[in-house]
Amino acid sequence: MTLSFTCSHQWLPSLPLHILSRLLTLLLFLNFTGNAVADTYKEKLDLQPLSGQFLLASFNFQSHGPIEAFNKQMFQLFPRSLGQILQYTHTRELHLRFALGRWDSELWGAQPGDGQNAGGTGVETWAWVEADNDVEAEARWTSLNNALSGLFCASLNFIDSTRTIRPVMSFNPTGDYPTTNTSSLFLLHGSLPKEPVCTENLTPFLKLLPCKGKSGISTLLDGHKLFDASFQSMSIDVRPICSPHTGACDIEIQQTIDMVLDVSRSLQRRDSPVPRPREQHELICDTSKSYASNEYCYPMDNSFDLPWSLSDLFGRTISGGCPFAINLPVEETSHVCIHAPENRLKTMETHEEVYPTSTEGKPDLQCYMLRENVEFDLAFPKQQPPTTPLRQEPLLYAERSFTGHGQEHGGVKTVLRNPWPNDPIEVVYLESLPWFMKPYLHTFKARVLPAKGLGEEVISELYYRPALDRKRGTQLEAKLIVPPNSVVILTYDFEKAVLRYTEYPPDANRGFDVASAIITIPPQRRRSDGKLIPATSIRTTSLLLSLPTPDFSMPYNVIIFTSTIMALAFGSIFNLLVRRFVAVDEVQRMDLKGKIRGLIGKLKKGKTE
Amino acid sequence: MEDDADSRRRRYRELLHNITMDKDGASQSQSKLDKDDDDSILPAGFVDQGDSTATYNQPPPERPETIRTRLWVLISAWMIAIFLGLPLWHATTTIYRAPLPMQEMQNWSEGKLCKTEFPLLVEVEAPSLPDAENLLKTVQHALDDANDFTAHKPHHLRLRLAAKKAKSEEDSKSDKDENVACLLRLIPDSQNGYNHAVQSSSRIVDIHYPPPSSSSQSSVSAGLSKFVAETLEVLFWQEQELIEHLLLPQTSNPGSLNALSSQSADESRDKKTPPRPRAATADINRRMSRVVKYSSSYHITFSLFTATSLPASWDIESAISQYLTPLLSALSPISNFTISTQVQYYASISSSVTPTYDEELQSWTLKKEDLSSFINSAEWPLASISNDPNLNFILYIPHPSISPLTIPSASHSNSFLLPQWGGVTILNLDQSASHLQHLSNPTLKPALETFATHLLALLGAPPHPASLPIRLDSLVRQRSAEVLVSASSTLGSLQRLVNALPSISIPTTVSDSVQDSILHLSLACEELRKGSFVKALEMGRVAQEEAEKAFFERTMVAQVYFPDEHKLAVYLPLLGPVSVPLVLGVFREVKRVIAERKRVRGGA
Repeated sequence: MTLSFTCSHQWLPSLPLHILSRLLTLLLFLNFTGNAVADTYKEKLDLQPLSGQFLLASFNFQSHGPIEAFNKQMFQLFPRSLGQILQYTHTRELHLRFALGRWDSELWGAQPGDGQNAGGTGVETWAWVEADNDVEAEARWTSLNNALSGLFCASLNFIDSTRTIRPVMSFNPTGDYPTTNTSSLFLLHGSLPKEPVCTENLTPFLKLLPCKGKSGISTLLDGHKLFDASFQSMSIDVRPICSPHTGACDIEIQQTIDMVLDVSRSLQRRDSPVPRPREQHELICDTSKSYASNEYCYPMDNSFDLPWSLSDLFGRTISGGCPFAINLPVEETSHVCIHAPENRLKTMETHEEVYPTSTEGKPDLQCYMLRENVEFDLAFPKQQPPTTPLRQEPLLYAERSFTGHGQEHGGVKTVLRNPWPNDPIEVVYLESLPWFMKPYLHTFKARVLPAKGLGEEVISELYYRPALDRKRGTQLEAKLIVPPNSVVILTYDFEKAVLRYTEYPPDANRGFDVASAIITIPPQRRRSDGKLIPATSIRTTSLLLSLPTPDFSMPYNVIIFTSTIMALAFGSIFNLLVRRFVAVDEVQRMDLKGKIRGLIGKLKKGKTE
Repeated sequence: MEDDADSRRRRYRELLHNITMDKDGASQSQSKLDKDDDDSILPAGFVDQGDSTATYNQPPPERPETIRTRLWVLISAWMIAIFLGLPLWHATTTIYRAPLPMQEMQNWSEGKLCKTEFPLLVEVEAPSLPDAENLLKTVQHALDDANDFTAHKPHHLRLRLAAKKAKSEEDSKSDKDENVACLLRLIPDSQNGYNHAVQSSSRIVDIHYPPPSSSSQSSVSAGLSKFVAETLEVLFWQEQELIEHLLLPQTSNPGSLNALSSQSADESRDKKTPPRPRAATADINRRMSRVVKYSSSYHITFSLFTATSLPASWDIESAISQYLTPLLSALSPISNFTISTQVQYYASISSSVTPTYDEELQSWTLKKEDLSSFINSAEWPLASISNDPNLNFILYIPHPSISPLTIPSASHSNSFLLPQWGGVTILNLDQSASHLQHLSNPTLKPALETFATHLLALLGAPPHPASLPIRLDSLVRQRSAEVLVSASSTLGSLQRLVNALPSISIPTTVSDSVQDSILHLSLACEELRKGSFVKALEMGRVAQEEAEKAFFERTMVAQVYFPDEHKLAVYLPLLGPVSVPLVLGVFREVKRVIAERKRVRGGA
C-alpha cells in the first residue's frame, strides 16, 4: 500500500514506470482479494458523439458478489435495501427500467448495448419470481412492486394484474439457474408508461452504488443535467451468474444510465440558465443562399463541432475514481472511454495521473483510468469542419401510431423496416394493451412492402391472451420475419371501452397511455456473412389513447333525473287514487283573477276618492 | 295606423260590454270594473273563462265507500313509505357494525378479569444443613410477611418457596423443570461470612454462610433464613418493580381510572422499606422507554458505516457467530432473530451534527444533543422490508479529518443506545494501521459486545442479577406482563373508539379478532397462574396481535366521513316530490273531516 503511494508521488510520464505502477496495482488487488474482499465492482463511462451535435454518455456500474453471502443477507457492495427485497419476494432475476424521451434511431443509429438496457417510456420492470404456483408468484410480484415502489419513489405499486403480462417468447432469463427448477420460475412483466421519471428516482438509484455519487464517474450524475437530456434511460439488472468451471455462483447487479446530451443545449444552459434567443452576431448564417442579407439569416447547422468538456456538460468534473473500481486487474481499469477519431484534437485538462490505456485495436477509442482523489476532466476543442461520427445502422426501425377516428373504434399501425439489403430478420413483437383497449384479433394483419410473392407468410407464430375487464390486459405476441430491404406493416383495429365513473384519472381528458411495444430480435446468424447478431430489443414510443370521457357531474344528474321521474310517477298515480273527480260545472272555481281585479279596483277607488 | 288601433280597441270594448250585459247579476261588479278600466286590452278568450265561474252546480255528495277507499289508499301509501321505504333506505345506506363484547373489553382494559400472578418456584439445596425444612418454613414466612404489606395490591409478585430435597432432583426435573426460577445452594463457608454469588450462565445462586458452631444452632438458622430472604428479595426486586410498573398504567388509564388502587399502590411503594428509592421509578421509566415493542421475531441489521471508502470489508459473519449467536439462541424462547449486515461507504453524518475539537482529550467530541440527530436517516439506507421490528446496530467509522471522534461522559465503549431503535458504536481507527482495509474479527469484538448489551437493554432484560438465565426468565415474565397489558389496553382503546365514533363501520373480522384476543388473554392469564410463563407469553402475543389486527383494521379506519346532511341532500329530489302529495293528501282529508264535523254540528 505504502509502496503504491510513493510511486504515485514520484510519477514520471515514462513508459517503464507506467507498467511498473500497473503491476503494483495488480499486486495490490491480489493482496486485497486475499483480505476477504469478496465483492468486485467496476464502473465505466462511455462517451460517444452522435450526429447532430449529440453526445451519448453511457454509465455502467457493475458489482459481483458470492451468492452465499447474498442469501445470508451479508451484504457488502450489493445494496442491502434491494437485496432484502429480492430475498423477501423470492425474486431470482430483476430488470427495472426508467426511461424518458425517445431514442431517435434515424439520426443516432442503433441503441447502445443492443437496446438491452433501454426500457419503454416511463417505468418497465420484469422479473423471474420463484414460487410454487401461479397465485403465489402473483402475490410475490405484487409485494416486489410495492417494495420497489418505496425504494425508488416510483408508482410501481400501480402495476397490478391489469398491467402485468407473462410474455412467452420475448424474454429469456439472462442469469444461470443450475439448482433452481425452471418450472418454478415465473416471468412477470409490468409497465407504467405514464410514470414521469425524475430526480426522485435518480437519488435512490445512486444510493445503490457503493460510491454513492461521491467519487468515481457517478459524480457526474446530477438530476438537473440528466433529466435535461434528449433521451435518458436508467436500468437495474440483478441476476445470478455461475461459473461453468467451478460451479460457484455470483449475484450480479448492473446499473446503467444512458443519456443523449444535446451539446448545444447543455452549453447554452451553462451560459444562461434562462433560455433566450441568440444574439444576431452569434448566428451563423448560410450566406450562399440567394436571399441572404443582413436582415435575413438562414441558419447553418453543424458548420463546426462545438467545443465542450465534461465539466461544461455535466456541471462538474469527475472527482477521482471510486476506490472499489480502481483495485482491479489492469485490463478492466479503463473507466472513461471516448469514441473519437485519433486525429481529432483532444486535451486532458487534468493532472498527470491519468493513464491513456491501450485502445485494443480500435483506433477511434480512447480510454482513461481514474485515480483515487484526483479530479478528471476531458475537453474537446472546437472542430471545423465537423466530424461525422460513426453511425451504426440499427437492425430494424420500428414505429407505431394510432389510426382511425372517433370515440368508439380505433386502429394501431406498426411499421417495421429492415434496412439491410440481404438479411431477413426474425423478430418477436409484443404488445401489452390495457383492458379498455380491446383489439379485434381477426383484423390483425401483416403486410409486406414491397409486396412479395403470395406464398410467404410473415407471421409465423402468434400468442394471444385476451383481456378480462378490470382483471387483466391484452397480451399479444407475434413472431414474424421481416424480409430484407422491406417494410412490414402490422395493423389491427380495436374498440374503446367505456370506463366506470371512478376509473377515470383526474386528468381524464389527457388520454390514457398505452405502453410501448417491445420488439425483440433473438440472437440469430446473419445469412449473408454468417455473423452472429446478439439479442437486441427495440421499444416503440408509447401511445396516448383518448377514451370517451363522461361529464363528471353525471351521477348527480342521474340521481336527480331518476328521483324526479319516480316522484312524477308516484305523484300522478297517487293523485289519481286520492282525488275526487267531478264534472266541470260542479267545480267551485276559485276566481283568482276576479279577486285580484276587485282588489285593484278597490285600491283605485280609494285613490280617486 | 293609430286610427286603426283605436277603432279596434273600441270594438273590443263594445263587444265585451255587450257580452257582460247579457249575463245575470252575478258578474255585476266585474262588468263595472271593466268599464272603469279603460285601457285594458282584453283577449277574446278571456270572456269564456270568466264566464264559467258564473254557473256553479253543487257536486253530488260523495259516497261513503269512495271516502273509505281514499282513506285506505292514503293510509296504505303512508304505511308503505314508513314501514317499507324508510327501513329499506336505512338498510341500504347504513353502515355495518358487527357486535362487539363491549363490557368484556372494558373489563379487560380495566384489569378486572385477570389477577396477574407470577408464582415463582425457588429450589433450595442444602445438603449440609440438618433442618432445612425448618429453615425454609422460616424463610417462607418472612417472605410472606414482606408480601403482606402489598397484599392488597391488584397485582404483585408472589414468591413460592418449594422445599425440594436435593435427592428428589430427578422428579422435579421431569415435570416442573422450567418453572424453577432459581436454585439456591446453601454452602457453609467459614471464611467470608454471609454472602451470595450468582453464576452468570446458570440459575444457581450460591449462598455462603458461616458454618454453625456446635452450640448456637438456632441462631445460625435464624440468621441464615433472614439472609436467604434478603437474597431472594435482592434477586427479584428489580423485576418485581418493573412488573408492578407495567401493570400500574393499566389501572391508571384515563379511560378506566381506578384512583383508589393506583393511590394505594403508590402508598404501598412508599411504605416499602429499604432498597426502593424514589429514583427507582424514574430509572424504570427510563429503561422501559427504551424497550422495543414485543414481537415474536426481530430483524437485526448490523451496518458498517464509514465516512470514506475504508475499511472496505469486515469479518462480521464470524464475529456474529462468535460473540452474538450464543446470546441469540438463549433468547430464542422469547423471540427469534434474523440478521442482515451491510457496508455503506461515503456515509456522512447529518449536516446538523458538528463535532468540536477538544484540546484536552485530543479528540473530536459530539455534544449530547447531537446524538439524537446523529443518524442521517435521509442518506443512510436503514429501512428494512421485513414485517418484524427492525433493530439497527451501526458501527460508524468517522472521517479521518474528525478522527478520533468521541462521545462525552460515556463509558469507554464510545457508543450510545437509541431507544427502541438500536445502537451506535463509533470506532476510531488508527490511520496508519495496516488493518485499515479490513476489519478483523478481534477488532470487532468490543463493538459486538456493546451491541449485545444494547440488544438486551432494547429487549428489556433487567440489568441486575448477573445470571443470564435468571435475567432471561425475568424477561419472559416481564414480556408476558407487557403483552397482556398491551393487548387489554388495545381492546380498551378499541372499545372507546367504537363508542366515540358511531359512524365507523365494524366488519366481522374485527369482532372475530376481538373474540380471539379475549380468548387468548384468558388463556394467557391461566398459564400465568400455572407458572408456565413461556406459554403465557405465546398466548399473550397472539392476543396482542389479534387485538392490534382488530384495532388497525383497514376498512374500519378508511371509512369515509359521510354526514347525514349530505345523504339527505342527495335524496332530496326524491323525498321532496314524493312527500308533498302524501302530506297534502293527509291535509286535505283532515280538512274534509273537520268540515264534515262542522256541518254535522251546524246541522244538529
